[in-house]
Amino acid sequence: MAMSGGVDSSVAALVLRDQGHEVTGATLRLWGGPSDSGCCSVADVDDARRVAQVLGVDHHVFNYADEFAERVIEPYAAEHARGRTPNPCIECNRHVKFDLLTARARRLGFDAVATGHHARVVERAGRRWLARGVDRAKDQSYVLGYLRAEQLDRLVLPIGEMTKDEVRDRARDAGLRTWSKPDSQDVCFIRGDHGRAEFLRERIDLTPATVVDRATGEVVGDVPAAELMTVGQRRGIAPDREGARRYVANVDLVARRVEVDRLAGVVTASIALHPHERSAVHEWPTTGSAVHVQTSAHGPLARARVDRDEVGPVLRLDAAIRPVAAGQTIVLYGDEDPDLVLAAAVVR
Amino acid sequence: MSLLYFDHAASAPRRPDVAEAMEPWLRGVVGNPSGGHRASRDARRAVEESREVIAEFVGADPSEVVFTAGGTESCHAAIVGAVARHRRDHERSTIVVSAVEHHAVLDAARWAERHWPGVTLRVVGVDHDGVVDLDALRELVDHDTAVVSVMTANNETGVRQPLDAVGAIARAEVLGGLWVHTDAVAAAPWLSLPVVTATCDLVSLCAHKLGGPVGAGALVLRRGAAIDPVVPGGGQEAGRRGGTVDVAAVVGFAAAARASARELAERVERVTALRDRLARGLADLPGCRVTAEGAARVAGTLHVTVEGVESDELLYVLDAAGLCASAGASCSSGATEASHVLAAMGVAPRRARGALRLSLGAETSGDEVGAAIRIVRESVARLAGTSDTATGRLSP
Repeated sequence: MAMSGGVDSSVAALVLRDQGHEVTGATLRLWGGPSDSGCCSVADVDDARRVAQVLGVDHHVFNYADEFAERVIEPYAAEHARGRTPNPCIECNRHVKFDLLTARARRLGFDAVATGHHARVVERAGRRWLARGVDRAKDQSYVLGYLRAEQLDRLVLPIGEMTKDEVRDRARDAGLRTWSKPDSQDVCFIRGDHGRAEFLRERIDLTPATVVDRATGEVVGDVPAAELMTVGQRRGIAPDREGARRYVANVDLVARRVEVDRLAGVVTASIALHPHERSAVHEWPTTGSAVHVQTSAHGPLARARVDRDEVGPVLRLDAAIRPVAAGQTIVLYGDEDPDLVLAAAVVR
Repeated sequence: MSLLYFDHAASAPRRPDVAEAMEPWLRGVVGNPSGGHRASRDARRAVEESREVIAEFVGADPSEVVFTAGGTESCHAAIVGAVARHRRDHERSTIVVSAVEHHAVLDAARWAERHWPGVTLRVVGVDHDGVVDLDALRELVDHDTAVVSVMTANNETGVRQPLDAVGAIARAEVLGGLWVHTDAVAAAPWLSLPVVTATCDLVSLCAHKLGGPVGAGALVLRRGAAIDPVVPGGGQEAGRRGGTVDVAAVVGFAAAARASARELAERVERVTALRDRLARGLADLPGCRVTAEGAARVAGTLHVTVEGVESDELLYVLDAAGLCASAGASCSSGATEASHVLAAMGVAPRRARGALRLSLGAETSGDEVGAAIRIVRESVARLAGTSDTATGRLSP
């Protein structure tokens, strides 16, 4: 049972224990540097350990700090340096929590790994699928989008059928000290008082850039770090003279230029996907098939058709949406059952 | 399941005579040793008797023994206190430490460097066995050096340091004013401290590695070495450490030190033989290497690295089999940590990830060593050669 020290994984452990499973808690030490909270601090390890004590289950701490640095932090900085916008939580789930922890659990003789994610493993026509959690507002199926069928066979998600309120009630009733802990919201290694810009400034060279209106060619401002600008972003961009909102349309690190445009100029009806950085729960949806796509952790669903170009897969959307930055993850859900995760891929 | 305890270097089993000695001071009226009435006088007598025992144990005058709440506090008080004093009196402000010091020393030195303008920390490297580089030390010590800190024996590997040579260098290069501190916490159960720390001005000790209580330690200040107190409030311990002395703790500390010193030679001989038998029993495991095998080490510690095995996994499997051991380095969360000691020795990170410290003590038996060999062998065999392979990639 992967225990972060939060309320969800605390209750997940409780549920498993009450179901009669032989449970061992494991907290992953991921980030060695300073953080506000998230899943990385010693205080969270202490909380997880105390919950395990109260539940009467063994608890171990596994140090994955090197792997976290190598597979999450370094790519995070490197992707930004290339002008892309990575999602470190997805990379952490994918490479550390699942690939490494699952392999370790198997070596140590465990039947399954459980986590406190709000998502479900369901069976449809004799096959196992990842599905959204019952609490739609807290659903975390998006960050688990890269899981594959063979991983689902050994994955247990004990709170996927519960709402967040039910989880907190259950924790309070059981006297778990984590019952009122706030939900973790942000990237665990970025501190509130020492934001993303500072974090990246210590690791990569940031590029000052001119902001140019793509429609008029007019220079409309400048930014200290083009690497921090994300295609589709509106925050920090001044409206045009007529008061219309403008969005980042393109980031050109070589030319040190950030192009902005009105919404109509930036929306897109197709998303090109990375040829390799993708995976499917079972098999990749066939070209021409209809799917639902989600472009951020709690973003809206859009309908699309799977296509491909000479490089790799492309999603053709039924209606244009705000652009999705290169490096972000798209999760594909079923057309008829938009709760079922089919596949995930990085935007090219 | 019977418990096979091979983590004495983390905390030694409490000796029965320690509990017995402490017992009268754990219930009912225990006077404040700083007070004037008969209950206080009784308490003070117990504290001073304990101070004499510790003074003899380390080779110092009783007036030179300052009781603290443990080894980490002692090291912090030594480094920070010495630098504070030097900044005031002599304007010396450089701290020189070995790269393999315990975090109690390293973090205290870094704290002083971070908080006080002009204070600088110089770190002396070690050789492949983890022995301090004396030529480098000679280069780094100068007239601005306030304190040199080199541990008596390393807590992870058990490797001993040449303190006589360290003391000679410090004294030859700088006349007066410079103090040599040694963290003797890991060495105390195994070496005669009056002999091996004779050249050191400041010596840090703690009780629980000797089988005494946690929360008791001492800083010894020899030959007039003086520190500014880190905790001045109250002026106890002759103004060198404020706060009421814990009578039960220091009585337990003294009982442990007395017992430890009494049976030292016999224990060292017996445990060295057990430790070497343990090493022989593991030597032919694939990827296994004894750390600093050729170096002088304390009797109780066997440190090995097993290439291709992860400490986290090995410790889990050992624990499941009832064997308590350690990777040597761990953080306050309980997670194993990449060892700065092994890194300083030039051990490849891949090998360092498979670190295992098995530490023995007075009560370790031959049967336990035999059982430990069997369990470690089975565990390594189970884990070796496996690796993480999942990548999750599809072809285009």
